[in-house]
Amino acid sequence: MNFEYSKKDENFRIEVREWLRETLPHYLSEKVKKYQRLTKEDYELFMNNLSKKGWLAWHWPVEYGGTGWNAIEKHIFEEEIVKASAPRIVPFGVNMLGPVLIEFGSEEQKNYYLPRILNNEDWWAQGYSEPGAGSDLASLKTTAIDKGDHYLVNGQKTWTTLGHHADMIFCLVKTDLNVKPQLGISFLLIDMKSPGVEVKPIITLDGEHEVNEVWFTDVKVPKKNLVGKENEGWTYAKYLLTFERTGIAGVPNSKSALNHLKMVSRKSMKNGKPLIDDPIFSSEVAELEIDLLAMEIFNLRTVSAATEGKAPGMESSLLKIKGTLVRQKTTELLRKALGPQALPYLPEQFDEGWNEMPIGPEYAGPIAKQYFNMRKISIYGGSNEIQKNIVAKASFGL
Amino acid sequence: MDFSLSEERKMLQETVARFFENNYKDIKKRGEYLKMTDGFSREFWKESSNLGVISGLVSPAFGGLGGSGEDICIIFELIGKSLCIEPFLSSGLLSNTILSSLNNPKTDLINQIIEGKLLMSFAHMEMNNRYEDHFVETKAKLEKETWKLNGSKSFVINGDSADKVIISARIEGKVNDKNGIGLFLVDNNNINNRPYNTIDGYRSTEMSFENINGELLCKDDQALECVIKTNSAGALALSAEAVGIMQICFDLTLDYLKTRKQFGKSIGTFQSIQHRMVDMMLEIEQVRSAVMLASSTFELNSTTRDKNVSAAKNLVGRVGKLIAEESIQLHGGIAMTWEYSVAHYAKRLIMIDHLMGDADYHRDRFKLLSSI
Repeated sequence: MNFEYSKKDENFRIEVREWLRETLPHYLSEKVKKYQRLTKEDYELFMNNLSKKGWLAWHWPVEYGGTGWNAIEKHIFEEEIVKASAPRIVPFGVNMLGPVLIEFGSEEQKNYYLPRILNNEDWWAQGYSEPGAGSDLASLKTTAIDKGDHYLVNGQKTWTTLGHHADMIFCLVKTDLNVKPQLGISFLLIDMKSPGVEVKPIITLDGEHEVNEVWFTDVKVPKKNLVGKENEGWTYAKYLLTFERTGIAGVPNSKSALNHLKMVSRKSMKNGKPLIDDPIFSSEVAELEIDLLAMEIFNLRTVSAATEGKAPGMESSLLKIKGTLVRQKTTELLRKALGPQALPYLPEQFDEGWNEMPIGPEYAGPIAKQYFNMRKISIYGGSNEIQKNIVAKASFGL
Repeated sequence: MDFSLSEERKMLQETVARFFENNYKDIKKRGEYLKMTDGFSREFWKESSNLGVISGLVSPAFGGLGGSGEDICIIFELIGKSLCIEPFLSSGLLSNTILSSLNNPKTDLINQIIEGKLLMSFAHMEMNNRYEDHFVETKAKLEKETWKLNGSKSFVINGDSADKVIISARIEGKVNDKNGIGLFLVDNNNINNRPYNTIDGYRSTEMSFENINGELLCKDDQALECVIKTNSAGALALSAEAVGIMQICFDLTLDYLKTRKQFGKSIGTFQSIQHRMVDMMLEIEQVRSAVMLASSTFELNSTTRDKNVSAAKNLVGRVGKLIAEESIQLHGGIAMTWEYSVAHYAKRLIMIDHLMGDADYHRDRFKLLSSI
């Protein structure tokens, strides 16, 4: 066994780090560090830079404009992005739709959409969840009726992340209502500017607008926007959901959150002494760090197996569960560390250019808000309960 | 980065696995060994020596065939899987670690242990020193160039059958001073032993002695570092043993869920039970990962070594409780019986947290070493 990165890997890490240092504007990393609201332009700036460098489609095959990186290199890349406080890469086009088109798209679709994703020309959104179809995704109700040269789409999608910026949305729709749910689903690409598409914001419990409802009323969608075969969308949807996700545990994010937690608990005081000196509080921090340490190795074991061509199966689900629990624990301890300093809620603090005096320390502002926001991670992308069902079904032979 | 075992180690693993499987086929056999005079089978121990299992715990520099963190973990994980009660920890690992860490290593004794001719034990624990490396009440004084030891030692695993014993004793200072302890080699014939069985199936003993002769092996900083290193080696080995036990507990429970029928179907079809099995599986992978890290960094500087061992042993304590309790709970009544093996695995898993530092002890040590 050897847990060291190779010289080649370390050089690659330096290359990524140097590039981020040169191209990521200071104001932008500051915004990310302070949890300020990012504009569409903020995301696009970073993604355009990646696109110019040829690193945007970092896990596509080389022949489609990908990087050809192995799993370890992808892991390093993800780590460095987080360490540099860069905005996240909006995943819907490049990470989700791209691989589906490469696998199942027509030549025409590949030739048209893939370069546009590579050049960051379209902002994509994901149209999966519906009000009545969350964990039970196959029970979705949005219909696409065949009208000869086009489909007529009616229904509603929800939880559409950053859908208010989107140019295009890929949707799961019902094309056959008379078969069992999984068999009548198709995978459709819809232009958000089409007449009949309406986006309504959902304000989440932290007061932020990140997710939306997307309504479709008699929306005409050309037939050429169907991906693969009609009524086989469920296969493509599952392919997308199980697509190799080396970063699913979110190790870099939790590591940076843990460092932040240590900083905050050194500055927060209890009886005139730093909170980190309190044996009970520091014990919670220590056990969290131990869990994270173990998870980092578990994640690397999975990543390393992936470089040898072993597709991560249930490991992805296990890492997703543990990753979300660890991350949520960091936000819980951060919230506890603040004591009453967690109470003030100044939404304007998260606007760019806000320069008034904060109430309490500057770092306190986003912490409670972030705690509530992070409840989402054990719900989305297949809730932790669904992940457990997947593992049980795949590996217990029950 | 490479998480697989080398070919040599795979061979070690296969050989030892087959050997243990053949000798510990079912839990009744273990019960028979435990009833023997020494609480284990001398015959099995001799065969272990012939096969090179004991030398797998010792570095080639001292006549062994292994001795690295990885070797220790391979062997102890298999010990866990078979619930083997031979003196691998006391003689094979702890005594050999001390004997090989001295300025003048006792290679002759090490070789006798490897050959299965000599049994030794490390008597460090006392009734009131809990898991501390430096808290020692037993006294040593120099009389006419001979060291005389006075006091008592507790929970000395396999101490009753040992030929020689290494005793930690205080030469000077207060009971919890870091400085002032020494390690002494003592002939077990001079010690009063009160042997007993532990709840998890090991043989242990309470030792008491008055003015007995001891040979000084090392003292002060060297003695303390020796105790710390030995206890870390023990904690690492027990962590690996726990991984083996957890895997067996999980496998036995899963098998049982498939065969046990209630309400007209196998109980493994119930979602509430499946989810708990996933929790167990996930936590076992976490422990396995922490033990891999600790084993592969065991030869590095003492801070890294002890920090990673403490992370692993802390996790073993926490997850061990989960696995032991859930294995019993998901089995139901059958796991409450002496006859069924899962009960014995669960007992050992829980009691591992009472040896070489529990979850709290290692959490606190982790805190110190990572400056939290």
